[in-house]
Amino acid sequence: MSNSHLFMSAGWVTAPLNNGIGRYSGQLQRVVIKFCKTHGCSRGVREFVESNLIDFSRQNPGVAVYVKPRRHRAPTITAEYCNGERGYMHVSNMSRDEVYKWLSHQTTQSGREFCRYRKFWRTETPSIQGVWSPHTFRDPRLNLAEFPMVSTAPKDWFRFC
Amino acid sequence: MLAGLMRNVLQRRTAFLPTLTKCLPASQPTSRLSQSSHIALQQEVLPTDDEIRHVTSSTIQKVNDLVAQGNEGRLFAVIHVAGKQFKVTAEDLILIEGYWPPSNGDEINMEKVMLVGGVDFTLVGRPLLPPGLVRVKATVIEKSLSHTKPVFYKKPRKQYRRLNFYRAHLTMLRINEITITGDINNPPSVVQVERPPL
Repeated sequence: MSNSHLFMSAGWVTAPLNNGIGRYSGQLQRVVIKFCKTHGCSRGVREFVESNLIDFSRQNPGVAVYVKPRRHRAPTITAEYCNGERGYMHVSNMSRDEVYKWLSHQTTQSGREFCRYRKFWRTETPSIQGVWSPHTFRDPRLNLAEFPMVSTAPKDWFRFC
Repeated sequence: MLAGLMRNVLQRRTAFLPTLTKCLPASQPTSRLSQSSHIALQQEVLPTDDEIRHVTSSTIQKVNDLVAQGNEGRLFAVIHVAGKQFKVTAEDLILIEGYWPPSNGDEINMEKVMLVGGVDFTLVGRPLLPPGLVRVKATVIEKSLSHTKPVFYKKPRKQYRRLNFYRAHLTMLRINEITITGDINNPPSVVQVERPPL
Protein backbone atom coordinates (compact mmCIF):
# COMPACT_ATOMS: atom_id res chain seq x y z
CA MET A 1 0.00 0.00 0.00
CA SER A 2 0.96 3.56 -0.44
CA ASN A 3 2.15 5.55 2.53
CA SER A 4 2.09 8.87 0.75
CA HIS A 5 -0.77 10.06 2.94
CA LEU A 6 1.56 9.99 5.92
CA PHE A 7 3.54 12.87 4.53
CA MET A 8 0.79 14.72 2.73
CA SER A 9 -0.55 17.73 4.57
CA ALA A 10 -4.28 18.00 5.12
CA GLY A 11 -5.97 21.31 4.58
CA TRP A 12 -9.18 23.24 4.21
CA VAL A 13 -10.77 24.76 1.17
CA THR A 14 -9.37 28.23 0.57
CA ALA A 15 -9.10 30.57 -2.34
CA PRO A 16 -6.29 33.11 -2.76
CA LEU A 17 -7.10 36.81 -2.54
CA ASN A 18 -10.82 36.19 -1.97
CA ASN A 19 -11.01 35.05 -5.55
CA GLY A 20 -14.52 35.03 -6.94
CA ILE A 21 -15.86 37.74 -4.65
CA GLY A 22 -16.60 40.57 -7.03
CA ARG A 23 -14.87 38.93 -9.96
CA TYR A 24 -12.79 35.96 -10.90
CA SER A 25 -9.10 36.49 -11.61
CA GLY A 26 -6.82 33.88 -13.08
CA GLN A 27 -3.92 32.98 -10.83
CA LEU A 28 -1.49 31.76 -13.49
CA GLN A 29 1.04 34.44 -14.33
CA ARG A 30 3.80 32.87 -16.37
CA VAL A 31 4.45 29.73 -18.37
CA VAL A 32 7.88 28.58 -19.55
CA ILE A 33 7.90 25.85 -22.19
CA LYS A 34 11.26 24.17 -22.61
CA PHE A 35 11.92 21.70 -25.40
CA CYS A 36 14.52 20.34 -27.81
CA LYS A 37 14.44 21.12 -31.51
CA THR A 38 15.72 17.74 -32.60
CA HIS A 39 14.83 15.02 -30.10
CA GLY A 40 11.81 12.83 -30.63
CA CYS A 41 10.48 13.18 -27.11
CA SER A 42 9.85 16.88 -27.77
CA ARG A 43 7.90 16.24 -30.95
CA GLY A 44 4.47 16.90 -29.42
CA VAL A 45 5.68 20.10 -27.81
CA ARG A 46 7.19 21.30 -31.10
CA GLU A 47 3.91 20.66 -32.89
CA PHE A 48 2.08 22.48 -30.14
CA VAL A 49 4.39 25.49 -30.41
CA GLU A 50 3.96 25.57 -34.19
CA SER A 51 0.20 25.26 -34.34
CA ASN A 52 -1.50 26.00 -31.00
CA LEU A 53 0.69 28.31 -29.00
CA ILE A 54 -0.51 31.57 -30.57
CA ASP A 55 -4.13 30.60 -30.00
CA PHE A 56 -3.41 29.62 -26.42
CA SER A 57 -1.71 32.93 -25.75
CA ARG A 58 -4.58 34.88 -27.25
CA GLN A 59 -7.12 32.99 -25.18
CA ASN A 60 -5.14 33.72 -22.01
CA PRO A 61 -4.07 37.35 -22.22
CA GLY A 62 -3.11 37.40 -18.54
CA VAL A 63 -0.46 34.72 -18.97
CA ALA A 64 3.08 35.50 -20.15
CA VAL A 65 4.36 32.61 -22.27
CA TYR A 66 8.09 31.99 -22.66
CA VAL A 67 9.43 29.41 -25.11
CA LYS A 68 12.92 28.16 -24.50
CA PRO A 69 14.58 25.68 -26.88
CA ARG A 70 17.54 23.84 -25.48
CA ARG A 71 19.59 21.04 -26.92
CA HIS A 72 19.08 17.40 -26.00
CA ARG A 73 17.01 17.90 -22.89
CA ALA A 74 13.60 16.56 -22.01
CA PRO A 75 10.66 18.95 -22.59
CA THR A 76 9.04 20.53 -19.53
CA ILE A 77 6.39 23.05 -18.64
CA THR A 78 6.87 25.40 -15.69
CA ALA A 79 3.91 27.43 -14.48
CA GLU A 80 4.24 30.30 -12.02
CA TYR A 81 1.34 31.59 -9.99
CA CYS A 82 0.39 34.78 -8.18
CA ASN A 83 1.35 33.40 -4.81
CA GLY A 84 4.90 32.64 -5.98
CA GLU A 85 4.45 28.89 -6.21
CA ARG A 86 5.45 27.08 -9.36
CA GLY A 87 4.25 23.89 -10.94
CA TYR A 88 6.71 21.77 -12.88
CA MET A 89 5.67 19.13 -15.34
CA HIS A 90 7.45 16.71 -17.67
CA VAL A 91 5.83 16.46 -21.05
CA SER A 92 8.14 13.94 -22.72
CA ASN A 93 6.61 11.90 -25.50
CA MET A 94 3.28 13.62 -25.18
CA SER A 95 1.21 14.34 -28.22
CA ARG A 96 0.19 17.83 -29.24
CA ASP A 97 -3.26 17.44 -27.73
CA GLU A 98 -1.90 16.14 -24.45
CA VAL A 99 0.45 19.10 -24.14
CA TYR A 100 -2.45 21.42 -24.83
CA LYS A 101 -4.59 19.65 -22.26
CA TRP A 102 -2.00 19.87 -19.49
CA LEU A 103 -1.13 23.46 -20.28
CA SER A 104 -4.83 24.37 -20.10
CA HIS A 105 -5.02 22.45 -16.85
CA GLN A 106 -2.27 24.66 -15.41
CA THR A 107 -4.28 27.79 -16.22
CA THR A 108 -7.14 26.71 -13.97
CA GLN A 109 -5.03 26.14 -10.86
CA SER A 110 -4.53 28.52 -7.97
CA GLY A 111 -0.94 27.47 -7.28
CA ARG A 112 -1.75 26.43 -3.78
CA GLU A 113 0.36 23.77 -2.16
CA PHE A 114 -0.98 20.33 -2.78
CA CYS A 115 -3.01 18.84 0.06
CA ARG A 116 -5.75 16.47 1.03
CA TYR A 117 -9.00 18.31 1.69
CA ARG A 118 -10.59 17.61 5.05
CA LYS A 119 -13.91 19.10 4.02
CA PHE A 120 -15.42 20.11 0.70
CA TRP A 121 -17.06 23.17 2.16
CA ARG A 122 -15.81 26.35 3.74
CA THR A 123 -17.86 29.11 5.30
CA GLU A 124 -17.23 32.24 7.34
CA THR A 125 -20.83 32.23 8.59
CA PRO A 126 -21.50 28.82 10.06
CA SER A 127 -24.93 29.54 11.51
CA ILE A 128 -27.63 32.06 10.66
CA GLN A 129 -30.61 30.89 12.67
CA GLY A 130 -28.43 30.04 15.67
CA VAL A 131 -26.87 26.79 16.71
CA TRP A 132 -29.39 24.11 17.59
CA SER A 133 -29.58 22.90 21.15
CA PRO A 134 -31.95 20.45 22.82
CA HIS A 135 -33.95 23.42 24.14
CA THR A 136 -34.46 25.03 20.75
CA PHE A 137 -38.16 25.36 19.94
CA ARG A 138 -39.12 23.81 23.27
CA ASP A 139 -41.92 25.12 25.43
CA PRO A 140 -40.51 27.67 27.91
CA ARG A 141 -42.88 26.26 30.54
CA LEU A 142 -40.25 23.60 30.99
CA ASN A 143 -37.97 26.15 32.64
CA LEU A 144 -40.29 26.45 35.62
CA ALA A 145 -41.46 22.87 35.76
CA GLU A 146 -41.20 20.93 38.99
CA PHE A 147 -40.53 17.28 38.85
CA PRO A 148 -42.17 14.84 38.95
CA MET A 149 -44.33 16.74 36.51
CA VAL A 150 -47.99 16.03 35.93
CA SER A 151 -48.62 17.46 32.53
CA THR A 152 -51.94 18.90 31.50
CA ALA A 153 -50.95 19.25 27.90
CA PRO A 154 -51.90 16.69 25.28
CA LYS A 155 -49.75 13.60 25.40
CA ASP A 156 -47.89 14.49 22.25
CA TRP A 157 -47.44 18.18 22.99
CA PHE A 158 -43.66 17.88 22.91
CA ARG A 159 -43.76 17.07 19.24
CA PHE A 160 -44.97 20.53 18.40
CA CYS A 161 -42.98 22.65 20.79
CA MET B 1 -41.69 29.42 15.68
CA LEU B 2 -42.26 31.35 12.50
CA ALA B 3 -40.09 28.85 10.71
CA GLY B 4 -42.24 26.05 12.02
CA LEU B 5 -45.35 27.90 10.92
CA MET B 6 -43.97 28.40 7.46
CA ARG B 7 -43.22 24.74 7.24
CA ASN B 8 -46.83 23.99 7.97
CA VAL B 9 -48.01 26.66 5.62
CA LEU B 10 -45.98 25.38 2.73
CA GLN B 11 -47.30 21.94 3.29
CA ARG B 12 -50.72 23.26 2.31
CA ARG B 13 -52.42 20.26 3.90
CA THR B 14 -52.26 21.77 7.32
CA ALA B 15 -54.21 19.47 9.52
CA PHE B 16 -53.24 20.70 12.93
CA LEU B 17 -51.74 23.95 14.02
CA PRO B 18 -50.31 23.53 17.50
CA THR B 19 -50.15 27.21 18.27
CA LEU B 20 -53.89 27.56 17.95
CA THR B 21 -54.64 24.76 20.29
CA LYS B 22 -56.03 26.09 23.51
CA CYS B 23 -55.35 23.87 26.42
CA LEU B 24 -57.03 24.84 29.61
CA PRO B 25 -55.03 24.00 32.71
CA ALA B 26 -56.46 22.03 35.59
CA SER B 27 -56.73 25.07 37.82
CA GLN B 28 -59.41 26.60 35.57
CA PRO B 29 -62.10 24.01 35.28
CA THR B 30 -64.69 24.67 32.64
CA SER B 31 -67.84 23.22 34.04
CA ARG B 32 -69.62 23.14 37.33
CA LEU B 33 -69.28 19.41 37.39
CA SER B 34 -65.51 19.59 37.38
CA GLN B 35 -65.56 22.42 39.88
CA SER B 36 -67.24 20.25 42.41
CA SER B 37 -65.20 17.12 41.82
CA HIS B 38 -61.85 18.83 41.13
CA ILE B 39 -61.17 16.63 38.16
CA ALA B 40 -58.62 18.07 35.77
CA LEU B 41 -60.23 18.60 32.45
CA GLN B 42 -58.82 19.93 29.29
CA GLN B 43 -60.51 21.15 26.24
CA GLU B 44 -58.80 20.98 22.90
CA VAL B 45 -60.01 23.55 20.43
CA LEU B 46 -59.00 22.71 16.89
CA PRO B 47 -58.61 25.67 14.57
CA THR B 48 -61.24 26.16 11.95
CA ASP B 49 -60.45 26.29 8.27
CA ASP B 50 -60.82 30.05 8.27
CA GLU B 51 -58.35 30.43 11.10
CA ILE B 52 -55.86 28.20 9.34
CA ARG B 53 -56.27 30.19 6.15
CA HIS B 54 -55.79 33.43 8.03
CA VAL B 55 -52.61 32.24 9.73
CA THR B 56 -51.31 30.90 6.45
CA SER B 57 -51.84 34.08 4.50
CA SER B 58 -50.63 36.37 7.25
CA THR B 59 -47.45 34.34 7.74
CA ILE B 60 -46.71 34.35 4.04
CA GLN B 61 -47.45 38.06 3.96
CA LYS B 62 -44.97 38.67 6.77
CA VAL B 63 -42.20 36.91 4.86
CA ASN B 64 -43.10 38.68 1.63
CA ASP B 65 -43.00 42.02 3.46
CA LEU B 66 -39.60 41.21 4.93
CA VAL B 67 -38.25 40.45 1.48
CA ALA B 68 -39.89 43.51 -0.08
CA GLN B 69 -38.39 45.80 2.56
CA GLY B 70 -34.99 44.16 2.18
CA ASN B 71 -34.99 43.14 5.85
CA GLU B 72 -34.58 39.43 5.30
CA GLY B 73 -30.92 39.61 6.34
CA ARG B 74 -28.34 37.07 5.33
CA LEU B 75 -29.87 34.03 3.70
CA PHE B 76 -28.65 30.50 3.51
CA ALA B 77 -29.69 27.78 1.13
CA VAL B 78 -29.36 24.07 0.67
CA ILE B 79 -28.41 23.41 -2.92
CA HIS B 80 -28.14 20.16 -4.77
CA VAL B 81 -25.09 20.02 -7.03
CA ALA B 82 -23.65 17.03 -8.82
CA GLY B 83 -25.35 14.54 -6.54
CA LYS B 84 -24.45 16.20 -3.26
CA GLN B 85 -26.18 18.72 -1.04
CA PHE B 86 -24.40 21.75 0.37
CA LYS B 87 -25.64 24.23 2.93
CA VAL B 88 -24.28 27.51 1.66
CA THR B 89 -24.49 31.21 2.29
CA ALA B 90 -22.94 34.08 0.37
CA GLU B 91 -19.13 33.98 0.05
CA ASP B 92 -18.92 30.28 0.82
CA LEU B 93 -16.55 27.94 -0.98
CA ILE B 94 -17.61 24.48 -2.05
CA LEU B 95 -15.78 21.73 -3.86
CA ILE B 96 -17.45 19.50 -6.40
CA GLU B 97 -15.87 16.13 -6.94
CA GLY B 98 -15.94 14.36 -10.28
CA TYR B 99 -16.20 15.43 -13.88
CA TRP B 100 -18.14 18.67 -14.14
CA PRO B 101 -18.01 20.69 -17.37
CA PRO B 102 -18.11 24.37 -16.24
CA SER B 103 -14.75 26.10 -16.52
CA ASN B 104 -13.00 28.88 -14.66
CA GLY B 105 -14.75 32.22 -14.54
CA ASP B 106 -18.17 30.80 -15.41
CA GLU B 107 -21.03 32.30 -13.47
CA ILE B 108 -23.63 29.73 -12.65
CA ASN B 109 -27.19 29.94 -11.40
CA MET B 110 -27.96 27.04 -9.11
CA GLU B 111 -31.33 25.64 -10.13
CA LYS B 112 -31.86 22.95 -7.53
CA VAL B 113 -32.53 24.79 -4.32
CA MET B 114 -33.98 22.59 -1.61
CA LEU B 115 -34.27 25.07 1.22
CA VAL B 116 -33.78 28.75 1.89
CA GLY B 117 -33.62 30.28 5.32
CA GLY B 118 -33.06 33.61 6.99
CA VAL B 119 -32.99 34.67 10.61
CA ASP B 120 -36.77 34.75 10.86
CA PHE B 121 -38.08 32.25 8.38
CA THR B 122 -37.35 29.09 6.45
CA LEU B 123 -38.75 28.02 3.10
CA VAL B 124 -38.64 24.28 2.66
CA GLY B 125 -39.02 22.71 -0.76
CA ARG B 126 -40.73 19.41 -1.42
CA PRO B 127 -38.11 18.45 -2.42
CA LEU B 128 -37.19 21.53 -4.46
CA LEU B 129 -38.38 25.09 -4.24
CA PRO B 130 -40.25 26.32 -7.31
CA PRO B 131 -37.89 27.58 -10.02
CA GLY B 132 -37.47 31.33 -10.04
CA LEU B 133 -38.23 31.79 -6.36
CA VAL B 134 -34.62 31.90 -5.24
CA ARG B 135 -31.48 32.89 -7.08
CA VAL B 136 -28.23 31.30 -5.96
CA LYS B 137 -25.31 32.61 -7.99
CA ALA B 138 -21.90 30.97 -8.00
CA THR B 139 -18.59 31.43 -9.80
CA VAL B 140 -16.16 28.70 -10.79
CA ILE B 141 -12.75 29.75 -9.48
CA GLU B 142 -10.60 26.66 -9.71
CA LYS B 143 -10.47 23.33 -11.44
CA SER B 144 -7.85 20.96 -10.19
CA LEU B 145 -7.20 17.35 -9.33
CA SER B 146 -7.44 15.75 -5.93
CA HIS B 147 -4.53 14.00 -4.27
CA THR B 148 -3.72 10.52 -5.51
CA LYS B 149 -6.09 8.05 -3.94
CA PRO B 150 -5.15 4.38 -3.83
CA VAL B 151 -7.81 1.78 -4.56
CA PHE B 152 -6.83 -1.56 -3.18
CA TYR B 153 -8.91 -4.68 -3.36
CA LYS B 154 -8.15 -8.31 -2.86
CA LYS B 155 -9.83 -11.66 -2.57
CA PRO B 156 -8.47 -13.70 0.28
CA ARG B 157 -6.93 -17.11 -0.50
CA LYS B 158 -7.33 -16.54 -4.24
CA GLN B 159 -3.99 -14.95 -5.13
CA TYR B 160 -5.86 -11.91 -6.34
CA ARG B 161 -4.96 -8.40 -5.38
CA ARG B 162 -5.01 -5.14 -7.29
CA LEU B 163 -3.66 -1.72 -6.47
CA ASN B 164 -4.93 1.12 -8.59
CA PHE B 165 -4.61 4.86 -8.24
CA TYR B 166 -6.79 7.68 -9.36
CA ARG B 167 -7.15 11.41 -8.99
CA ALA B 168 -10.60 12.90 -9.01
CA HIS B 169 -11.53 16.17 -10.71
CA LEU B 170 -12.24 18.95 -8.25
CA THR B 171 -14.13 22.12 -9.08
CA MET B 172 -14.11 24.97 -6.59
CA LEU B 173 -17.15 27.23 -6.50
CA ARG B 174 -17.59 30.58 -4.82
CA ILE B 175 -21.18 31.34 -3.84
CA ASN B 176 -21.77 34.97 -4.75
CA GLU B 177 -25.29 35.76 -3.68
CA ILE B 178 -28.50 34.24 -2.44
CA THR B 179 -31.61 36.30 -3.02
CA ILE B 180 -35.33 35.67 -3.01
CA THR B 181 -36.54 36.94 -6.35
CA GLY B 182 -40.11 35.65 -6.51
CA ASP B 183 -43.31 35.85 -4.52
CA ILE B 184 -43.69 33.17 -1.90
CA ASN B 185 -46.52 30.71 -2.46
CA ASN B 186 -47.27 32.35 -5.77
CA PRO B 187 -45.64 30.08 -8.33
CA PRO B 188 -45.91 30.98 -11.99
CA SER B 189 -48.71 29.24 -13.78
CA VAL B 190 -47.79 25.84 -15.09
CA VAL B 191 -46.23 25.98 -18.54
CA GLN B 192 -45.87 22.85 -20.55
CA VAL B 193 -42.84 22.91 -22.79
CA GLU B 194 -43.16 21.04 -26.04
CA ARG B 195 -40.72 18.20 -26.35
CA PRO B 196 -38.53 18.66 -29.42
CA PRO B 197 -39.11 16.10 -32.16
CA LEU B 198 -36.77 13.15 -31.96
